[in-house]
Amino acid sequence: MQKLYRRLANRMTFISLVVALAPLYALSAGIYFYFSGIHQEQLKNELRTLAHNRVSAIGLFLDERTSVLEVLAQTSSKEALTKPGALEKVFGLLNRRSWSFLDLGVIDSKGRHLAYVGPYPLEDRNYSEAPWFRHTMLRGTYISDVFLGFRGTPHFVVAVKHSAGSDSWILRATIDSDVFTRLVRSAQLGQRGDSYIVNSAGKYQTPPRFGGDILADCQLCMQSVPRGINVVERVTPDGKHLLTAFAWLSKKDWLLVIDQDPREALGPLILARELELAVLVLASLLIAASIIFLARRMVRRLEEQDRQRSALDAQLAHSGRLVSLGRMAAGVAHEINNPLAAIGELAGLLDDLIDEDFRRNHPHGALFKENLTKIQQHVDRVRSVTHRLLGFARRMEPRLDSVEINQVLTEAFSFLEREAKLKGVEVDLALSQDLPSLQTDRAQLQQVFLNLLNNALDAVEGGGRITLASRREDGEVVVSVADNGPGIPKEVQDSVFDPFFTTKAPGEGTGLGLSISHSIMQKLGGSITFESEPGKGATFFVHIPIS
Amino acid sequence: MDSFNVLVVDDEKDFLQALVARLGLRKLNAVGVENGLAALEHLERAPVDVVVLDLKMPGMDGLEVLGEIKRRRPGVEVVILTGHGSVESGMEGVSRGAFAYLVKPVKLDELMEKIVKAYEWKRMNQELPPNDSD
Repeated sequence: MQKLYRRLANRMTFISLVVALAPLYALSAGIYFYFSGIHQEQLKNELRTLAHNRVSAIGLFLDERTSVLEVLAQTSSKEALTKPGALEKVFGLLNRRSWSFLDLGVIDSKGRHLAYVGPYPLEDRNYSEAPWFRHTMLRGTYISDVFLGFRGTPHFVVAVKHSAGSDSWILRATIDSDVFTRLVRSAQLGQRGDSYIVNSAGKYQTPPRFGGDILADCQLCMQSVPRGINVVERVTPDGKHLLTAFAWLSKKDWLLVIDQDPREALGPLILARELELAVLVLASLLIAASIIFLARRMVRRLEEQDRQRSALDAQLAHSGRLVSLGRMAAGVAHEINNPLAAIGELAGLLDDLIDEDFRRNHPHGALFKENLTKIQQHVDRVRSVTHRLLGFARRMEPRLDSVEINQVLTEAFSFLEREAKLKGVEVDLALSQDLPSLQTDRAQLQQVFLNLLNNALDAVEGGGRITLASRREDGEVVVSVADNGPGIPKEVQDSVFDPFFTTKAPGEGTGLGLSISHSIMQKLGGSITFESEPGKGATFFVHIPIS
Repeated sequence: MDSFNVLVVDDEKDFLQALVARLGLRKLNAVGVENGLAALEHLERAPVDVVVLDLKMPGMDGLEVLGEIKRRRPGVEVVILTGHGSVESGMEGVSRGAFAYLVKPVKLDELMEKIVKAYEWKRMNQELPPNDSD
């Protein structure tokens, strides 16, 4: 492929690719972002609902524990509960229904531990300095943050104050932190999700699964977390992307945090995106391959057509030059023919007038005679040149007419009809009546038919017979000119179409008739063939294609 | 061979005179005129058997003269002899009734042959009256 066409092919490929792929990519991106937006919104909503449910469940859990302790404290007396075995009985009853209390104690208004049931040796401890004690004495009901206390392990307590009359005392229970942690973690989502509680001071109240222990500092800026339930996308200080729901408990200033790994949550979306990308890449490859293939094929065909057209143009220009050359030659030949004829006749007249007497007796008589003969010979030479020029001019300019073959044949015959009759030659016409009109050069066909008829007429003697026939034969019209003359000897059959080949007596034929006819028929897309049996005559066939 | 009357029509004066003289030397009663009108006038006045006719002439064109001759004297045969030859004009001439068609310059023997054949044709047609009617 030439540079110009390669550039054209590249440009076509580029434009087609842009036109084909840009809308595809835009549509794909549009669809992806639209659905991923919907999907993410849905995820956030689900997370919000989950946070709402879990925060309610945790609130309910704490409310129930508080309520049962309140009922117990209000309906019992200090004395009843501090009786030996009484508290154990109550504790057993409570935990039978898996109330998840770790221990239970009764503390008087001075902070002394009056009775205790639980795994730790906490009897006789004095809590008058403990913050939870003072809070409970002040408010009546208290849920503590997680703290270490006397036992030295993280826990939190629920305490209620009995304040009937002047004697007030406190019923206090520690919540089983395993149970509470399990409850909080039940909000956890997926393999990489997390859920935990942080207090208002930013300390973990339940242990997170990743990146921290209970009571350690959480990396959240607690002031920036608004009240209520919020779902945000955030990046942790160690670079993890998280989708997080924050939900404040209503009764306690604890924050439930539910972290979700968006990659996990958006798994189906990511899979869909990867599938879409794969389909897109595949489609792009297919489209690109088709476009490149088609563009190259089109341009190659275009190049081929251009090449053919320029070849045709060159040929037409060449033919055009030949035609104008031919016209000029014909003009020159016409102009020469008249004076040439005059020269020939004038010299001929002088030649006629020089008799034997003049030739012998005049001092230059022989020279006169000789030169006049030479002048006529040269006139003959020029004549053959001008006649050839006229024929050449005619052949250079084929003209297509709608031609009725039979009519042309009849005309050619009428041209020689009188001569044939004078010679005593019978001419038969066997013309087929169902011939189509042909698009061909009428005058050149006439020339061919005349040449063949002339030859036939020359070939037969008086009493001879010539048959002119036409017929239609698969895709062509065949005209035959048959004579019953001596035929063409075997040894010259190969050269009858050669230029200047003749069997006529010297001066009778130019030897060009058949050769010119042959080249005319080739130019018209047809051909001339012959059959001849020496002694029985010859038949020439002119094949003219119908299309 | 009998002597018969030939009329040569050609606007090329030198050619005309030389040809008429040469035909005369060959025992023909040849007369030359330089245009079609003169030819038709001569045809009215004198007997003519064969006309040798040029095609391209000032005034009346050769084909017109041919048509006029054939109209007035159908028996007179015409041999066309022209310098502007082509197959088409030859066909045209023959289809309008010319006996033969030759392109200048022509050898006198060839021309004589055609003239004699034309004369023989004329005589043959006169011997067969029904054919002379066209």
